[in-house]
Amino acid sequence: MNDDIRKLVEAHEADVHRPPAHVVEQWHSAIDEAAALERGRRQQPRWHPGSFFWGAAVTGALAIGIGIGFVLSGDNGIPAQEPVIAYVEPGVGATPAAFTRGLAVHLRDSRQQITSLDDSTDATMLLLQIIEQNRRFEMAAKRNDAPKLARVLRAFEPILLQLAANDIAPEDAEALRAQLAFELNVMLTKLASQPSDESHTT
Amino acid sequence: MQTGGMPTQADFHEAISTRSDRWYSACLKITRNPDLAADAVQDALLNAWNKRHQFQRSARLDTWIHRIAINAALNLIRRNKPGLFEPLEKDYESDIVRPDRAWEEHELESELAMALGRLTEIERVCFVLKHLEQWRAREIADAIGLNEGRVKQAVFRAVKKLRVSMRSMQEETNE
Repeated sequence: MNDDIRKLVEAHEADVHRPPAHVVEQWHSAIDEAAALERGRRQQPRWHPGSFFWGAAVTGALAIGIGIGFVLSGDNGIPAQEPVIAYVEPGVGATPAAFTRGLAVHLRDSRQQITSLDDSTDATMLLLQIIEQNRRFEMAAKRNDAPKLARVLRAFEPILLQLAANDIAPEDAEALRAQLAFELNVMLTKLASQPSDESHTT
Repeated sequence: MQTGGMPTQADFHEAISTRSDRWYSACLKITRNPDLAADAVQDALLNAWNKRHQFQRSARLDTWIHRIAINAALNLIRRNKPGLFEPLEKDYESDIVRPDRAWEEHELESELAMALGRLTEIERVCFVLKHLEQWRAREIADAIGLNEGRVKQAVFRAVKKLRVSMRSMQEETNE
């Protein structure tokens, strides 16, 4: 390496940008959440309604459930390219009760589909569609100025990718399916116990 | 820093505390976007966590995550700008600062970062990977889907442009 390039490289190596503190905190939280998810797969999971982890998991499951619903229902009157969450503004909801009921149906369907997923190509395709939809929701969340929701959705992608991977061990796939199904159950429980006008908060 | 056995949750936290500024900086130099850089690091952390059983005992956790973060950053810019590395014209883009990059440069507030921003995407990525990340031209070519010759050309042009930027910075400092 000649002297000019060495100086150039040294200057650039010294040019370190610190990430914002809240971003570093999110990275720490992401690892804690991933570890908690893993522990949850190994043990009988318990739900603490107030914890951050379950709040994040519930929000993610909500979006995934809607995504699965879109994939499975095909034409349901709402354009598939624009997730319904993109049009939902917190506090300005037009039909929150109807939204909640529709969501519950989607979640039940999604739970059924996920628990009956097998190792076939169709299952992989379905999961890839869910991932694609998840990315749309992530982008929609960003557009709606909901970065926390976007990051929660992003955190779900590795789990879905793992499930879609061909080389995953059957027992791991089973554990992941059980975890996702559990989170959908949690979401359904939350939906049933919450006032409908709180169903679309981010 | 952890160097043997499967890394634990505490090892990841330690790595984040001590090395995440390096990961973030490297991703920022590739993406030129603070949000994408943060996303790349988060993706890398989660991927590393989920695949930690594959971690080589002889490796260092922080350098392993660093490498994954770079790949995540490359994936993110590809996803956000499909076809980025494909058109030949990109190689010969002028060094005029594009309006869509102006705010990013303002955000980064570093002359060196601005100098990187004056490169084309291909030049910047190839320079960062070759000289700052010490990747081989073959690895870069494989990672971004170009042939090795074009990678070397891009690095050559990047160095040439950066030398000019460095000289003007030095002249300003001397004045």
